[in-house]
Amino acid sequence: MAEPRLDAFQVIADASRRQMLMMLSKNSLTINSLAENFDMSRPAVSKHIKILQSAGFISITDKGRERHCALRKEGFDALNEWLRYFDQFWESKLKTLENLLNDKLKTKN
Amino acid sequence: MAASIKHQLFFPHPPAAVWEFLTDAGLMELWLMKSDFMPIEGHEFQFRNKPVPQLDFDGIVYCKVLEVVPFKKLSYTWKLGPGDGTINVDSIVRWELQEKDNGTELLLVHGNFTVLENAGVFEAMNKGWLDNIHKIAERLNAQQHG
Repeated sequence: MAEPRLDAFQVIADASRRQMLMMLSKNSLTINSLAENFDMSRPAVSKHIKILQSAGFISITDKGRERHCALRKEGFDALNEWLRYFDQFWESKLKTLENLLNDKLKTKN
Repeated sequence: MAASIKHQLFFPHPPAAVWEFLTDAGLMELWLMKSDFMPIEGHEFQFRNKPVPQLDFDGIVYCKVLEVVPFKKLSYTWKLGPGDGTINVDSIVRWELQEKDNGTELLLVHGNFTVLENAGVFEAMNKGWLDNIHKIAERLNAQQHG
């Protein structure tokens, strides 16, 4: 079954997924060792992991019988993208404000 | 990296003139966006902008006035989403005006991206990446010199 594709903010809005990411920010872990830390069923853990993977936050590599999860940069790029978007947004809006106020000064003098 | 955006500008105008542009919906529309803003604490309003589909943003910013200190401070919440009733970005916009000898210093801080900050994930992640990059650099250096 296909999981709904969530955006970066929806992905980290979930406390369990945030905790998973926090753990992976320290070390890459197998799905089994990750699951041990959570009081939920294996399918529930797998579902969260799939969501993290499809949003680009983690990668999963098969090593022998084990599946290893590690952080990926892409998920965080999406968050940075929002910040960049607003940074540029404000910069251009404030430029317009500056021009407006300067024009006002000119007409007054 | 701190999850907030800061801009500082100087205007050769008294605070009252700058304040007008920050709080009068008619004037705000000239430089910011169309809105039903009123400088009243607790007032809920919306900014309307063009949709940004690649960021799942329907173009409407849902806001609520948090603080109004005439000619000095103004802040409001800043929430947006894809248009299906869900919110992706929950943040706060703060304006601060400081009177100077020959004008006004205006500071904008767009921050408190609460989803990010409550989690601490954003910091942890960026740190995690930095650590990984350092590890790779160390390994490469070791190879070069070893």
